[in-house]
Amino acid sequence: MKKTAGATRLRLNWGEVFSYIFLILLAAAYLGPILMLLNTSLKTMPSFMRDATAFAKELNFKNFADAWVKANFPKYLLNTMIYAVSATLIYIVTSVFVTFPIARGYVKCANLLLTLYVVALFLPPSLIPQFQLILNLGLYNNPIGYILLFLVNPMGVMILVNFIKTLPRELDEAAALEGCGYFRFVVSIVFPLIRPAIATVVVLHSIGIWNEIIAPTIYLTNKNYYPITRGLIVFQGVYGSNWPTLAAAVLMLTAPMMILFLFLQRYIVSGLTSGSVKG
Amino acid sequence: MNYYFGRGGAKLIPYLLLLPGVAVYFLISLGPSIATSLYSLTDATGIQGAPIRWIGLENYREFLFMGQASRDNLDALGRTLIFCLCVTVIQFVLGLAAAVILNQKLRGRNFFRTLYFMPVIYGVVIQGLMWTLFLYPLGGPMANLLRWFGGRSEFLGGQPAEAFAWVIVVQIWANMGITMMIFLAGLQTISSELYEAAVIDGAGGWQLFRNVIWPLLTPSVNTNLTLNLIGSLQAWQLFMILLGYRNGTQVLGYLIYATGFGQTSGSVTTSFRQGYAAAASMVLFFLVLAIGLPVQRFLRRREERILG
Repeated sequence: MKKTAGATRLRLNWGEVFSYIFLILLAAAYLGPILMLLNTSLKTMPSFMRDATAFAKELNFKNFADAWVKANFPKYLLNTMIYAVSATLIYIVTSVFVTFPIARGYVKCANLLLTLYVVALFLPPSLIPQFQLILNLGLYNNPIGYILLFLVNPMGVMILVNFIKTLPRELDEAAALEGCGYFRFVVSIVFPLIRPAIATVVVLHSIGIWNEIIAPTIYLTNKNYYPITRGLIVFQGVYGSNWPTLAAAVLMLTAPMMILFLFLQRYIVSGLTSGSVKG
Repeated sequence: MNYYFGRGGAKLIPYLLLLPGVAVYFLISLGPSIATSLYSLTDATGIQGAPIRWIGLENYREFLFMGQASRDNLDALGRTLIFCLCVTVIQFVLGLAAAVILNQKLRGRNFFRTLYFMPVIYGVVIQGLMWTLFLYPLGGPMANLLRWFGGRSEFLGGQPAEAFAWVIVVQIWANMGITMMIFLAGLQTISSELYEAAVIDGAGGWQLFRNVIWPLLTPSVNTNLTLNLIGSLQAWQLFMILLGYRNGTQVLGYLIYATGFGQTSGSVTTSFRQGYAAAASMVLFFLVLAIGLPVQRFLRRREERILG
């Protein structure tokens, strides 16, 4: 285990005992729902009806095949991926061009602009006028309109601005002296240098799109456009009492997130806690 | 600031390239957010092409002062406050305890950190369905646990107050990981020399926490309190997944959604009353301000007092 500066050294034994009791009790609340999901997904319906909690003996993997086909997973997964990839791509490119000049003060009112992103947290929910807007643009029940909703993320802007501020200004000056133009500088110098921050924002933003359920409920009525979350809720509506199949479906959606998280933990955590330390 | 990339017209290039991103933000997010106040003064519906009329403060009057419906609204407002208070306090305490404990050199520390943080990335649908199954009333794990102690419960299908309490539990379960990680980030900025000095001076565990850790954690305390207060006032999605639009459990956020976009319960679908929903959004906004601003000011004063 890595040594962390500031790890406390409470030598008292009872302190450690208490710590472990706390951690294990809490862990039960976190492991319980996941294990129950896993267990249920391996059962047959009759065995679930007999005893919902008992350990699965039969390892009924058919649930997964059933859910995959019946929940129309391939179609909905593809939709979610199209939404996530295209919206995140556009979002990142436009955001770097927004955040770089703000962080550098290359545009007037840079601080005011940044404040307009910060206050978003406090403002009234934009739900209603946003719907009216999309409706009047003729983008209701339209994948383009749906993607449009995800081209905004104030938190990503904060993360990028904070990171760009750590790049030395001399870089700009030197590049400009070499005759490098603004656009080329941002694309071929800034982009590669802020890769860690971009990775964080990409991960956070696409997780947000992946998990979104309200927007598809409001804006998409055509089943062919549904993302996976909406598909899962529809599936729950139809197979709600068939928990083994439903659990398999939920697990198939959870597993990729868990694996992704284990690989990208660093980016996710640094993104969500960024700015918190300075206050 | 000095601009190095050319003079005159070339100075406009950053503006030009910044424009798409900012325009989309104004169009999709900031504009609609502000326009909520205007819509709250109209009788807008969600039907395309239907005329929209100004009706002044009528929506607010109806929301606050008209018969049974407004009593239900005020109940939802009260519930929002209870939800906010419970979630903020419990999540804060649990997150702080977990962070302080996991900042020690303990076996399995990374495992626990990852485990507690995991639900944050699941999203509400998975969080909600997981707990619906975990709270399965006919022989599910929690039902069995309760039976050992001689209890019985319908959990999410039970009395409104009880169902409501379970949503609080799931909300905390889902988001405690963020609170913990923010505290951990704060704890890591405290230098180990400070701990050692305090321990050499004979400080015990509690004194160490009270006199060293707690004051130095002030920035993370502020971040967490602000995020949790505002987040829990606006949260409602878990209610939708776990309970549906059930009488006696609604909070303001869900009420806005349900009145604005119609809510099917059984065979009845309510109409899209978007002007009214916008007024409800404004009520929520004022609630966020009324709680958020004084808390912000208090926290800032406290930070100045402690950290100078």
